[in-house]
Amino acid sequence: MPKLVLKFEQSVLKEVPVGTKEVSIGRAPDNGLVIDNPAVSNYHARVFNEEGRLMLEDFGSLNGTFVNGQRIKMVTIKPGDSVLVGKHSIVVTESREPDGFADWNAQQKPFAPKINETVMLDTKDRRNFLQQAAAIGESAQVSPTRVKVAWLVVQSGKTDQREYILSDKLVVIGKSAMATVKLKGWFKPKVAAQITRRDDNSYYIGPADQIPSVNGNAATHATKLSSGDVIEVAGVHLEFAYRE
Amino acid sequence: MEFAAITDTGRVRGNNEDCFGVAEEIELFVLSDGMGGYASGEVASKIAVNSVLDHVRASEKNASLPLLGTPHPGASSVAQRLASAVAIANQAIRDEAEKNSARRGMGATIVAMQFHEQRVSIAHVGDSRAYRLRNGTLEQLTDDHSFVADQVRRGKMTQAEAETSKFQNVLMRALGPEPEVIVDISEEVVLDGDTFLLCSDGLSKELRSTQIGATLGRTDGTEEIATRLIQMANDAGGEDNITVVIVRFAPKLVGALVQKLGRWFRES
Repeated sequence: MPKLVLKFEQSVLKEVPVGTKEVSIGRAPDNGLVIDNPAVSNYHARVFNEEGRLMLEDFGSLNGTFVNGQRIKMVTIKPGDSVLVGKHSIVVTESREPDGFADWNAQQKPFAPKINETVMLDTKDRRNFLQQAAAIGESAQVSPTRVKVAWLVVQSGKTDQREYILSDKLVVIGKSAMATVKLKGWFKPKVAAQITRRDDNSYYIGPADQIPSVNGNAATHATKLSSGDVIEVAGVHLEFAYRE
Repeated sequence: MEFAAITDTGRVRGNNEDCFGVAEEIELFVLSDGMGGYASGEVASKIAVNSVLDHVRASEKNASLPLLGTPHPGASSVAQRLASAVAIANQAIRDEAEKNSARRGMGATIVAMQFHEQRVSIAHVGDSRAYRLRNGTLEQLTDDHSFVADQVRRGKMTQAEAETSKFQNVLMRALGPEPEVIVDISEEVVLDGDTFLLCSDGLSKELRSTQIGATLGRTDGTEEIATRLIQMANDAGGEDNITVVIVRFAPKLVGALVQKLGRWFRES
């Protein structure tokens, strides 16, 4: 079971164990850990157990609560962390009784993920996290079951081909040499519009020199394409379609 | 092409764990936001940026340098190379973390863009972003690899809920935690007049996209715009480190005029 050791400079003042009940920290005498010092708010912070983790939460105190030098609102703490409340420090230590929580805590990574900082999850944490937060029965990964091949079929307008297979991540519609869908005609723009394929195999059409329309609606931003959508740009009508 | 890049600690953090790098000669721009206790975030983001710059520069001298990671079908060779560089950065961070136990668990986001032949290839892992401003419209070019962004994509959360969620800082993908990293690649056309922005979440979490778009569209120099964006993010709270890299392609004056005339003729 972890303990909070209250220190002022180098002197140990008292020790309080953290069990299933939370330990509130503050100047008021009804706190679990009372710190009698004007720099400490009446109800300054608390330490509690949440799903096997030891959590420290600041109650919006005037002078703040600091962990390893950083001001926190709510953070995980573990043995070795140094907590500062006013001028007092609270050291988290592990008491000697073998305990499930102690073993678990010892395996933690050396840095405390702070709630306002970015946290990365490793595979095990990610799976647990997703299980807790996501709906039951939903898979964590987006796995494409079949790769669909996307095509553009020319319905009207002058282009170099009647159909185009969209194999590249970037497909340009225009007169330029980099265009896949090459427009024919004097006043056609070099790059009329672009179609990009994202890593989840979805296709988006976006404006370049012109604003294309999808099913009659102007696509001023990158717009996702669905099978059967009709694109109109630079006087050309193209149908976007998936084929097996 | 003109560019400017600035990084700022912000108002709340004690140190700056963001890092950026530019290889001007190959039009490559990289940004990374590091994480980890005891300032190892600084180490991670620096390794990330330098790994990408080094690998891409080396491949310019030797095109047959082997690629690391899974190939991306339909992507240009520049994009494949960027993806490989990011995979190498992942490995470099993991190697360093293994050597030094104080750095165990450190990680970083990354976003890299390289311009070539009228297009830009972008590789990213994490929630640092790339944006493009074209004709006054701001487009986010990268999907965040954050838990909340994933929830929004699946329709389980609205954008507004995502922005206030207590899980908004949880990343699903980053450099460091896993031996294999899935790198997202995208390619976009580059037009005269386009302005591109790379930024860490220290900017995108403080400012609305309308503010970012309006500021990027100013006629000031890129350095003034970059300074202004940082100032705005700090004024809004500056809760995290802020980094911006701006690359702007000057509009072709004559070309723009002809386009405008052309449009006028078509519409009348």
